[in-house]
Amino acid sequence: MRVKASRLLAVGIAGMLTTLVVVFYYPVGSVLSSAISVGERLTVEPLVGVLGDPFYTGAAHLLVTDPTDLPGRFTAWVDAGMPAVDFGLFGFTAYQALLSTIASVAIGIPGAYLLARFEFPGRELLRSVTILPFVMPSILVAVGFLAMFGQTGVVNDLLSTVGLGPISLVFTLEIVILAHAFYNAPLVTRLVTAAWESVDTRSVETARTLGASPLRAFRDVTLPQLVPAILTASVLTFIFTFMSFPIVLALGGLQLATVEVWLFARVQNLALTEAATLGAIETALSLGLIYVYLRFEATQISAHSEGHSRSRMPLFSGWRSVFDPRRLGLFIYCFVAAALFVGPLLSLVVESLTTPDGAFTLDYYTFLLAQQASTAIGTIQPLAAIFNSLLFGFGALVLALPMGVLVSVVAIHEGRGSRLAEALLTAPLAVSGIVLGLGMLRTLVFGTTVFGHRFTITGSIAIVAAHAIAAYPFVTRNVTPALSGIDDQLVEAARVLGADRATALVDIELPLITPALIAGAAFAFAISIGEFDSTVLLAEGVDSATMPVALERYTANRSLGPNLGPATAMGTVLLAVTTGSFILIDRTGRWWER
Amino acid sequence: MNRRRFLTHSVGSVAGLAALSGCIGNPGDSGQTLTVAAYSSFTGDGTAGNWLKSAFESENPETTVTFQTTENGVNEFIQRRSEDAPIDADLFVGLNTGELVRADEQLDDSLFAATSDRIDGSERVKSDLDFDPDGRVVPYDTGYISLVYDADEVDEPATFDSLLKSQYKNGLLTQNAEGSDPGRAFLLWTISQKGPDGYLDYWSQLADNGVQILSDWGTAYEAYQNEEAPMVVSYSTDQVYYHGDDVDISRHQVGFLNDQGYANPEGMAQFADADNPELAREFMSFILSEEAQSEIATRNVQFPAVEGVDPGGDFEEFALEPPEAVTYSYDELVGNVGGWIDDWARQIVSN
Repeated sequence: MRVKASRLLAVGIAGMLTTLVVVFYYPVGSVLSSAISVGERLTVEPLVGVLGDPFYTGAAHLLVTDPTDLPGRFTAWVDAGMPAVDFGLFGFTAYQALLSTIASVAIGIPGAYLLARFEFPGRELLRSVTILPFVMPSILVAVGFLAMFGQTGVVNDLLSTVGLGPISLVFTLEIVILAHAFYNAPLVTRLVTAAWESVDTRSVETARTLGASPLRAFRDVTLPQLVPAILTASVLTFIFTFMSFPIVLALGGLQLATVEVWLFARVQNLALTEAATLGAIETALSLGLIYVYLRFEATQISAHSEGHSRSRMPLFSGWRSVFDPRRLGLFIYCFVAAALFVGPLLSLVVESLTTPDGAFTLDYYTFLLAQQASTAIGTIQPLAAIFNSLLFGFGALVLALPMGVLVSVVAIHEGRGSRLAEALLTAPLAVSGIVLGLGMLRTLVFGTTVFGHRFTITGSIAIVAAHAIAAYPFVTRNVTPALSGIDDQLVEAARVLGADRATALVDIELPLITPALIAGAAFAFAISIGEFDSTVLLAEGVDSATMPVALERYTANRSLGPNLGPATAMGTVLLAVTTGSFILIDRTGRWWER
Repeated sequence: MNRRRFLTHSVGSVAGLAALSGCIGNPGDSGQTLTVAAYSSFTGDGTAGNWLKSAFESENPETTVTFQTTENGVNEFIQRRSEDAPIDADLFVGLNTGELVRADEQLDDSLFAATSDRIDGSERVKSDLDFDPDGRVVPYDTGYISLVYDADEVDEPATFDSLLKSQYKNGLLTQNAEGSDPGRAFLLWTISQKGPDGYLDYWSQLADNGVQILSDWGTAYEAYQNEEAPMVVSYSTDQVYYHGDDVDISRHQVGFLNDQGYANPEGMAQFADADNPELAREFMSFILSEEAQSEIATRNVQFPAVEGVDPGGDFEEFALEPPEAVTYSYDELVGNVGGWIDDWARQIVSN
């Protein structure tokens, strides 16, 4: 038994590394290598070309082109009264990512407070669906945002009834940041809620008994336990919004282009060396950030024994409670959150039932039925797409959970370089989706010649593997803090009693971190459902198309005129199917936990 | 009709020849498969692609047409060629001038074979649409880029200079020339009017007047329909979709700046190392037949490329042609178009 279990761990690690190399590192490496090599020769020319170009790095290009001149320039700049400095495309991209992160955290944390500390009807449902924005294709988010915040949108209609407005938000940095918050604030909420729920009630009560005010108890006891989750969410949000792509051009326009927008254009023009260089710099920056963060995280997490989470306060307790400042604040927050999250999603549903002229129609759903009934080749049937999405989502979940846990086991190991190892194993978060897609095309789809045979890796299994690789870092981010929070004595006791590392993991540790596993599973499923770039490349024809692929195809369908109606109908179906799935995942998880 | 009989006859003889060569290569297998590479939206329920497949197969019972669709169009095949990966398709459908230029600039040997003088019907293609000087790509349809504007909100914008006036402030939506066909066509149109030395200046004035450059045609048109701006760069066939009693036609006015439209012909070409070159050419001449031309025109809502084809119906009534069509030729784009677009995008982003 002892031998078996440790073998299992070894086999698991070997299998995971093989999958990672084949479906991730090899494809990505094949692209990024051209940033540092020409033919067989190593070179820094492409990197110097990009970093030394003021268009990309603004004032920082001097670091590369003329470092000796820097001190002189710096004094001249100070003498000039320190005017604003332009740091080029990378500078702007980081700036908008920073603003987006601040907005996401500001909007996400009150949500976590509400979900973790208050009891109200529908709380569990709300908690399950917080992850929904994650799966929404950007084209539909753009449709929802235009309908909500546009010139003739709901917000302006409401403002005009009270004699205000109109406000012009579309094509501004503000709406791009709002859209980024739409995608990422739920991530903040979900991670922080989990941390908040695991704050031990006894430590808070002890502080209160010792005379600490509620605010003081929060600051000294609760907040330190939330910081790792808040920072994890911030780092992830920063990386995602730094590499944000389609939503920027859909709502902001080319004037607000990010590095990723530019990278995509390079790929379309087949300027692949420049694209690879941009991708390599993005990846280096993201990995560096992840590494610094992991170093910090390791110092933050302290072991805590299995505690009792605090009981939630009722949100409504008599009409007087409505005027309690905390609750009043939350009600105002709910109003804002409804406008930001429910508004665009609901608008999408309304759009799927409305003609461009504003009349009620069921045409778009009839269109879906017609696609379902059609036997014409090249037609994506909605039911087949739903089935594929669920199948791949389930497959990705099953594969990503053990992968994520394995990386967490590496991460909590106190050895030298384990932070570095975890950072490298988190790389799927840090690589541009466009670079990964290009790499997959050139290696897996085009095929590789081995011993005179050409091997291609496409189809359903490749899709599930790609989804699992995109998803497992989320499992890790949920599981690592929980796993390192387990009292070491428990594991040691198990080892003393004869359990090996793997047995201790499966029998002792994993049951203790079920909530983190469920959260990771939900993320894995969500990543898979929303994934488009790799899916469309690896799909063999229409047979392995998923819901986002079907939706994209329907946007190009002009049979009902040039509008996004059929896509909004498919988007509504996507919303319904994923809502149901998330509720099911949470329910199953809780049932298992009992 | 004489023309159709001629076509059937010649198709028959070519098919016979192809069948013969098929027998030599592969005895016992009389069926042939033609693989057509195209954009993903070329095939599916009710598309031009599916109509072509069934019509061609019913004329050639021995033949099966299959589609190989790619998300990134011809780029996938350019990369396959440069990576020595196999190309399993016989011809590519849906190629424009800029893409052909890119293919030629990227590859030492041409991706496509020179076939146009061996394709029946290619001599009837409108000569001003012919964009490949080497006779590889045969145009099969064309669109004209124009403005669509809301006559309730703005007067008809008559010229490029008028777009700089204050009455059109924040008025125009267009698309990113780096990735969108109409966006690229509109940029090239401004270059043809303002010259390679003057277009950046013109665009900086356009930007000052609030032009918005979105990712693609779909998002720009969606924003137009949501009344974010009263003008959008689109196609002159807009009213084919929007006409009739329940449509506010003033929101679908087509504006030909300087009395022009920018022609964006789409072509097809046989891959240089196609497995079934004869069959590919046969399919190409089938696409140029009168019936196929009018089917493509109505299903793609694009103008036929062949002279004298009358698609009839709504298309004939509501598709508008510009008084003058402008377009850059292959030779004018080679060596220039990449730099033009790059300079433009850098200026927009840096602004």
